[in-house]
Amino acid sequence: MIRGRGWALLLPALVLLLVVFLVPVALMVPTSVRPYVPMVGITSGFTVRYYTRLVTDSYYLEIIGRTLALGSTVTLATLVIGYPVAFFLARTRSRWRNWLTLLVVFPLLLNLVVRTFGWIALLAQNGLVNQALQALGVIQEPLKLLFNFTGLLIALIHIFLPFMVLVLIGPIQNIPRDVEDAARVLGASWLSAFLRVTLPLSAPGILSGSILVFVLTISALVTPRLLGGPTYQVMSTLIYDEFLQRLNWPAGSAEALLLTAMVLALVFLSGILARRTGARA
Amino acid sequence: MSRALPALSVRRLRKSFGAVVAVDDVSLDVERGEFLSLLGPSGCGKSTVLRMVAGLVVPDAGQVVLAGEDITGVAVHRRNLGLVFQSYALFPHMTVADNVAFGLRRRGVAEAELRPRVDRMLELVRLGALGARYPRELSGGQQQRVALARALATEPGVLLLDEPLSNLDALLRDEMRVELKRLQERLGTTMIFVTHDQAEALILSDRVVVMQSGRIEQVGRPEEVYRRPATPFVARFLGRANFLSGSIAGMSDAGVVVAIDGGLSVVAVAHPGLAPGQRVAVAIRQEHIRIEGPGAGPERVNRFPVTVVFHAFAGQAHHYVVQLADGRELEVAAPGAVLPLARGAAAVIEWGPDDVVLLADGGAAGAR
Repeated sequence: MIRGRGWALLLPALVLLLVVFLVPVALMVPTSVRPYVPMVGITSGFTVRYYTRLVTDSYYLEIIGRTLALGSTVTLATLVIGYPVAFFLARTRSRWRNWLTLLVVFPLLLNLVVRTFGWIALLAQNGLVNQALQALGVIQEPLKLLFNFTGLLIALIHIFLPFMVLVLIGPIQNIPRDVEDAARVLGASWLSAFLRVTLPLSAPGILSGSILVFVLTISALVTPRLLGGPTYQVMSTLIYDEFLQRLNWPAGSAEALLLTAMVLALVFLSGILARRTGARA
Repeated sequence: MSRALPALSVRRLRKSFGAVVAVDDVSLDVERGEFLSLLGPSGCGKSTVLRMVAGLVVPDAGQVVLAGEDITGVAVHRRNLGLVFQSYALFPHMTVADNVAFGLRRRGVAEAELRPRVDRMLELVRLGALGARYPRELSGGQQQRVALARALATEPGVLLLDEPLSNLDALLRDEMRVELKRLQERLGTTMIFVTHDQAEALILSDRVVVMQSGRIEQVGRPEEVYRRPATPFVARFLGRANFLSGSIAGMSDAGVVVAIDGGLSVVAVAHPGLAPGQRVAVAIRQEHIRIEGPGAGPERVNRFPVTVVFHAFAGQAHHYVVQLADGRELEVAAPGAVLPLARGAAAVIEWGPDDVVLLADGGAAGAR
């Protein structure tokens, strides 16, 4: 293809990205440095207090830390649960394979709010999970599974697991069986061949799946809002409240820009990592 | 036992995939230091035999015996065999040196001892300077040499090669053939080589095993399977041959006279066990037929006047299709140095009685 012509194909997407992403984000930058006065609104002037409090005030630091912890835990859990599933789906010659893959996708077809309310019913003080555990005699007092880290974790793992599985299937399928067989003939046990050959060769899939789930988790709004309640905040719910409850747009802008910067930094770092592992794979 | 123990034996191996019988009662002995080829068309079961030996495919029945020890139930990674794949199957995330060291590391060879051994293997396949490269930075031929070095590094009891040259282009393939043969002679490693390329099998092997539909058709030295094929399939698979069917008419000084259906009479070297009237097929390879311009010439057996109906030049040979007086067509390959005959020209063809392959069961052979 002639150089330059290929770029034309990207044009519609680039224009869309510019209008609905870059411009709004850029507009938040001037907003984030305006002082907000309660009952008055956004005033003219200049302040960086919405930034400084994010990195000094323990209230905000806790929310940021919680968001990152939630992102990493959900990512790790979906990876641990999803990899075997993806491995099975990539390798099985069963004629049920397409149906099983559909089963993985199936939860995505249900509305997110519906699924989240389902979790409320399950995880509530006298919800199904607590009732079952009490009936079985595993616990005496009901567990607190809602409006805390555990509840959010359970629901978010459930919601983002399909993404991880779907992203992993392709890269695992691309690993030639001969390469694994070669490792085994050369004296590697199944486990050793998996750890030394299969797993490193699935690194591209693990990386992209992890980024996807991490980014989706730290920016998820509906589930944390419904399962975290009004007090158990993560960054996305904080931003939401800032904009729509407290009408403090400057603070909301600063927080949103921080979240965006975190995501961009992650994507950038993983790009470097991918290039490094990709140079070898 | 008077003879040395075979390096590897397979006994009555059998494997089916669903309703398809891939390997049907295959037994083989491979001598120490021997280069044995499994030759056959794709789907004949040759690769499955190899994979059963390696342990990657579990046989339905039968045994694999390595140097006298039954390894049928031994795990893949404990068999101490080498396997070279058509796809090279190098570890893309490791350097060439790490690829070669992989098997040694699994055997617990100390890092200090590792380096010289890896270097020696890379020297052996003439890749001494490329240890730090990654596989994708190498050409196909170089990659296959790495695979060879990797498989040989652990000093396997038997080296299995699954169509290792098939992914290489023609020129490189010829080069690698020679290199592989010299390597085998130098190291004395027992090798089992799977291929669908008859020339490759003939050039490389001490013995050739011709397989079809999961069964062994013939086992023999390359000259044997080429000159004395046991079945029509073997005759057809090892080089292009012209098949004529007829029946034994009697004996002459020159040999057995076969009356070909339609009037010709062909003389072949006598075999024991041929009775007059018996149906036979006669196979004459295209490269065994001599072709020359028309002329009286000496009156000899197996000499017939023909008309050239097709000619093409293929480098080492001129390919002809010639028509006999009765309308029958034969394929002829004449050495490239000979002056070509034009299409439509009259010519004479001739072959020796010892170039004629006689096969019993003329019906089956003559069918094609």
